[in-house]
Amino acid sequence: MTTAPSAATPAEVTEIDASARCSLLLLLGSALLWLVVSGALALVNLVQLHTPSFLADCPLLTFGRTQALQETTFIYGWAANAGLAVALWILARLGGSPLRSLNWVSAGTVFWNLALTLGLVGIATGDAMSNAWLHLPRYVLPMMLVAYGTIAVAGVLAWTGRRQQMTFASQWYAVAALFLFPWIFSAAQVMLVFTPERGVLQALVAGWFVQGAWTLWLAPLALASAYYLVPKVSGRAIPSYDFAALSFWTLLVVGAWTGGRHFIGGPIPAWVASIAGVSCALLLFHYIVVGINLRGAFSGGGSTVLKFVAFGLGAYVLGGFLDALTAIRGVALITQFTYFSTAQSQLALNGAYSMMMFGAIYFLVPRITGQAWASSALIRAHYLAAIIGTIGLVVALAMAGWVQGHDLNDPAVTFAAIATHTKTWLQIATAAQALLLLGNLLLLGHLLKSAASSYLAPANATFRQPPTMEASVS
Amino acid sequence: MSDQNPIDPRQEQAGASDESLLAAHEKLLGKKPEDGAHYKLLPLALLFVFSGLIFYAGTYLNHYSGHYDASIFNENAHPSNAAAETVKIDPMVLGKKNFELVCATCHQVTGLGVPGVYPPLAGSEWVNGSEERVIRIVIYGLKGDVKVEGTNYNAAAMPVIGKVTGSGYNWSDEKIAAVLTYVRASFGNKAPAITAEKVAEIHAKEGDRKEWSQEELLKIH
Repeated sequence: MTTAPSAATPAEVTEIDASARCSLLLLLGSALLWLVVSGALALVNLVQLHTPSFLADCPLLTFGRTQALQETTFIYGWAANAGLAVALWILARLGGSPLRSLNWVSAGTVFWNLALTLGLVGIATGDAMSNAWLHLPRYVLPMMLVAYGTIAVAGVLAWTGRRQQMTFASQWYAVAALFLFPWIFSAAQVMLVFTPERGVLQALVAGWFVQGAWTLWLAPLALASAYYLVPKVSGRAIPSYDFAALSFWTLLVVGAWTGGRHFIGGPIPAWVASIAGVSCALLLFHYIVVGINLRGAFSGGGSTVLKFVAFGLGAYVLGGFLDALTAIRGVALITQFTYFSTAQSQLALNGAYSMMMFGAIYFLVPRITGQAWASSALIRAHYLAAIIGTIGLVVALAMAGWVQGHDLNDPAVTFAAIATHTKTWLQIATAAQALLLLGNLLLLGHLLKSAASSYLAPANATFRQPPTMEASVS
Repeated sequence: MSDQNPIDPRQEQAGASDESLLAAHEKLLGKKPEDGAHYKLLPLALLFVFSGLIFYAGTYLNHYSGHYDASIFNENAHPSNAAAETVKIDPMVLGKKNFELVCATCHQVTGLGVPGVYPPLAGSEWVNGSEERVIRIVIYGLKGDVKVEGTNYNAAAMPVIGKVTGSGYNWSDEKIAAVLTYVRASFGNKAPAITAEKVAEIHAKEGDRKEWSQEELLKIH
């Protein structure tokens, strides 16, 4: 059942990479452009947290709108575009044949980003919806769903048309993410936007959507990338691989049930929060297995790709444990509804998701363009900016949240006093966000340079023929 | 260049081909534990961790799910069991059980209370006196001063026990009647039993209200 490597082992870079160049570069370029826009908006938003007069006279950029704009740009601009590009590329490589329907991918990308742009204008001019992670105005939502479908179909074709019957964890996560997003996105559209549920149920659906978009869409995309990169770069098989499937199904089955953790202590039936709490605990199994499976990332032997993945993996597992910890009612008493929750989502998005995607981008772009990255100093600078920025942002927000949580529980402390107490931490978070923005600007410039030279200069990247992996590890 | 410096971050080399990556992991999945009966420790530990988490989840849900009732917002609340109400229950048994579960925390199992803090029930004129008055106290609670057997108590408040907004217990009228019956016939008390109908009557009459004070009660009775 295992196919022996054919006599002529295929080269590392093949038609699979070259044919996908235009479509994937379009996705990745849009992704990084949005990442920079989102970073700039997040910076404005953080400044407004401690200096409320900043841009307060500009109706397009008041606090509520910059918050909605930066979140939407990050999720639907950066995360969606980058995740799709990486998932398509991994599915094509493991599937063993070039991507089909690439014109649809490019067209879908254009329409997805046009709809997103329209939506962002809508948010800035007052059409925003009030749901976390779903601020987009109603008129762009159906178009985004269709555009997503046209992009994702290439991934589904790569999966169904794969050369070999056997599959790998990376493919499970990628395919799951491709299929699950349309489900949660369309369900949320119907239940929150077009025929909104009333009362408590609306809040519950909103919490389910936010959690689902993370555990069933973005987290699987990030894991698809990490599960591919770690064995691929290190050349060592994944340890305790037999648990990977159980861990995968735990995430899919239990993941979205943790949505109620956003409402612990809020006015919802007790069982919803209780189920969310125990689901967070059950999900620890998934995080432990992922940590064991991918621990090879921490001994990457100087590979920058694996350094990014290792940071992302650490953030992912830490985030899982923090979710479980803050889902305990006694802890939620302090952390719930404070900056601490913001710190947790930044840990997941900037810490886990972005870092794993950066690793994938540094690995795949030279393969699809045929051009080595222009400068290793730029890569190192981006790495430093990304890790210092992320750590600074998450720690500062968590500290601000901890202070805020304690203050809010003390009726003697006024709101003005709370703002004073958290101000220093928020300023540190602002500085960290500025550093993140700088690092991401470097990556955008670097990618544009690489993309341009792939059309102007002959290919200069040289990839050795990779060795064959032994199954004997672990 | 790549020969002198094996890891060039500008173009990282792959450690394995995609085909062998797939094949190697497929092979790992079918692997039996080595040495026949000797299972590896890590998988066993993981199974224990997973079982432990499931056990915790089940136990937690059993205690804090509020019986999956859409109208229960307090995870510690236990709604009355509708099925059990159809069975005739001895009020003395039900009363004793619930008294020891909740009331005895302050009033003690002996009904003697704690001198200076929690008033006694044994021989208390409030317990053995007007049945409407004692029903009012248990359903809605009592705050502030209360003079029992010549001693004034105000260190603690009698909590809201009945099905009232803000109640931590949400006891049914039947349960309250049973506990009152038990209290009025124990610790040397010899007052007549109280029926669930009587409790329901007072509950309906007063509706949803806040805790009583001693003055309010003495004005009615």
